[in-house]
Amino acid sequence: MGMRITNAQADAAAEHAVESVNARFGGSDVVATVEHHANALKMAFVRIVAPPQHWTAVAKHLKFDLGTNYCSMVTGTHHPEGGAERGWEVVYHLMRQPVANQAPHTNTVHVAEELQGMDVPLEVEVVLTLPQGQTPSVPSVQSLWVGADWNEKETWDLVGIQFEGHENMHRVLNPHDSPEGFHPLQKQHKIRYHDFNEMYDDAQGFGRKPTDEGRVK
Amino acid sequence: MAQMWITMGPQHPMTHGLWTLRVKVDGETVVDTDAELGYIHRGVEKIAEARDFTQITPYCDRLCYVSAMTWANSYIYAAEDLLEVEVPERAEYIRLIAAECQRLASHLMWLGAYGPDIGSLTLMTWCMRDREMFLDLLQELGGSRMHYNYPRVGGVKRDMPVGFADRLVAKVKLFEHRIDEYEMMLDESTIWLVRLQGVGYAKAEEMVNAGVSGPNIRAAGVNYDVRWAHPYSVYDQVDWEPAVEKPTSVKGADCYDRYRVRMEEMRQSCRMMLDAIEKIPGGKNTNYANGDEMILAKAPTRAPEGATGFSHYECTRGASQFYIQGGGDGRGKNPYRLSIRSPMFITIPFVAKTMIGYKVADIPAIMGSFDPCIGETDR
Repeated sequence: MGMRITNAQADAAAEHAVESVNARFGGSDVVATVEHHANALKMAFVRIVAPPQHWTAVAKHLKFDLGTNYCSMVTGTHHPEGGAERGWEVVYHLMRQPVANQAPHTNTVHVAEELQGMDVPLEVEVVLTLPQGQTPSVPSVQSLWVGADWNEKETWDLVGIQFEGHENMHRVLNPHDSPEGFHPLQKQHKIRYHDFNEMYDDAQGFGRKPTDEGRVK
Repeated sequence: MAQMWITMGPQHPMTHGLWTLRVKVDGETVVDTDAELGYIHRGVEKIAEARDFTQITPYCDRLCYVSAMTWANSYIYAAEDLLEVEVPERAEYIRLIAAECQRLASHLMWLGAYGPDIGSLTLMTWCMRDREMFLDLLQELGGSRMHYNYPRVGGVKRDMPVGFADRLVAKVKLFEHRIDEYEMMLDESTIWLVRLQGVGYAKAEEMVNAGVSGPNIRAAGVNYDVRWAHPYSVYDQVDWEPAVEKPTSVKGADCYDRYRVRMEEMRQSCRMMLDAIEKIPGGKNTNYANGDEMILAKAPTRAPEGATGFSHYECTRGASQFYIQGGGDGRGKNPYRLSIRSPMFITIPFVAKTMIGYKVADIPAIMGSFDPCIGETDR
């Protein structure tokens, strides 16, 4: 029969993580809260809002004290109209997975409802807000999670966030000879359908051109 | 002997798509590797910023042409998180059946492509034959063979046609015997065993740290599965258990374990579908009209700034994730930012490093066993 982590288990795991982070970083600007997804199952997750200078310390706490062993996703966002304090945002999604190396000819079969404490899967969302500027930069966590390596490469390539201390940074999705400073997910680059009603403005499609034509390669 | 770099790809039978593996060899031994991706980068994340939430689904279908339904579902769960929609239970069951059908089709495509890598061309023809059965089923739901545009925010596009349930049960029961046939052919084939066993070891903890997920983790002996660990849909109500292997070495899972876990996963998908079709609310031979509240809930079309949606989904190759920020163009009609996490984008660099120390001839066996798909990798 199928099984799943119950809402109570997820709530307890998230509350424990939030208490731990707030106890360790209380007094600084690091704020952790328990949030719930808004879709059918309403599972709990942890949201941590941290200033970038505390990110390395928070990451070490998450990895070594709370057991988040999996860096799944890094998202950079450009907010050109977000005010002086919020020009860029970097969101890390981290997970805790109850996975360990196995002795030969053995396996671990978890029963979801019986998991407790640090074995309960945990979902953490870390939001780092950066001020306006040409060179947004956060510390890299490549050395903590190998999985962050290519995620950070991608975020630099597409959004232009710099990751301090990242080794071997290079283009991964854009061509290797893309012009320096070209990061297509920044908001000054428009694609041709932005503000464009194709049904009425140009039904035949003769006038379709990228609005940044001639300005970028 | 002098070492040299060999470029495999972007067009190479090993690559299963368009990417380049640069291999440094010392004689026959691989001493260093380097992966180059991005050949088919389409910029889906940027395009999505100029599309409303319904229009994005077809783009997500095309993220992976082998497993369109799971990717579209993955996006839809994030959109539902963002727009705060609760889906009718019948629609969740239909999505579950569709996703597991797609998982079978995708694993069959993987097995069919992996066979010729190893030297068994027969396998390709057998797998393509069986995959057609499930593509036909998916066509009945979505209307086309590969890209269905089937899930909607709040439910599904249309109900199962009358008679779908009977055809599903007949095909799944037939296919359960076909899995036995595959195993008889492969597990008793010396060539298959020699090429797969003892090759491409990867440890569980290393893989998790590197961001590898899905069947590749379960091959290393842990039944971690997003479907129960970060639950969505109605997987807790149907009969199944995550496939898990017992690796034979301290070095972790080899290619053979990864092949075994996918065979077992196909069995579990069959079991799940047979159970779900009996338990579906509203009856398996009922056909509700398009837009009926049994299959489609009312959903808002705009999301305010500051709202976020996130989904964690067990795709056929691992955990896919979507992260959406609301408040884009058209007063929130479009997402402000949509971010896609592709399991293979993270896995391919890891696999490239896994090959170090093995022979050049093992590269197709190792690469293929992780089931790469470049459509989702490059996005």
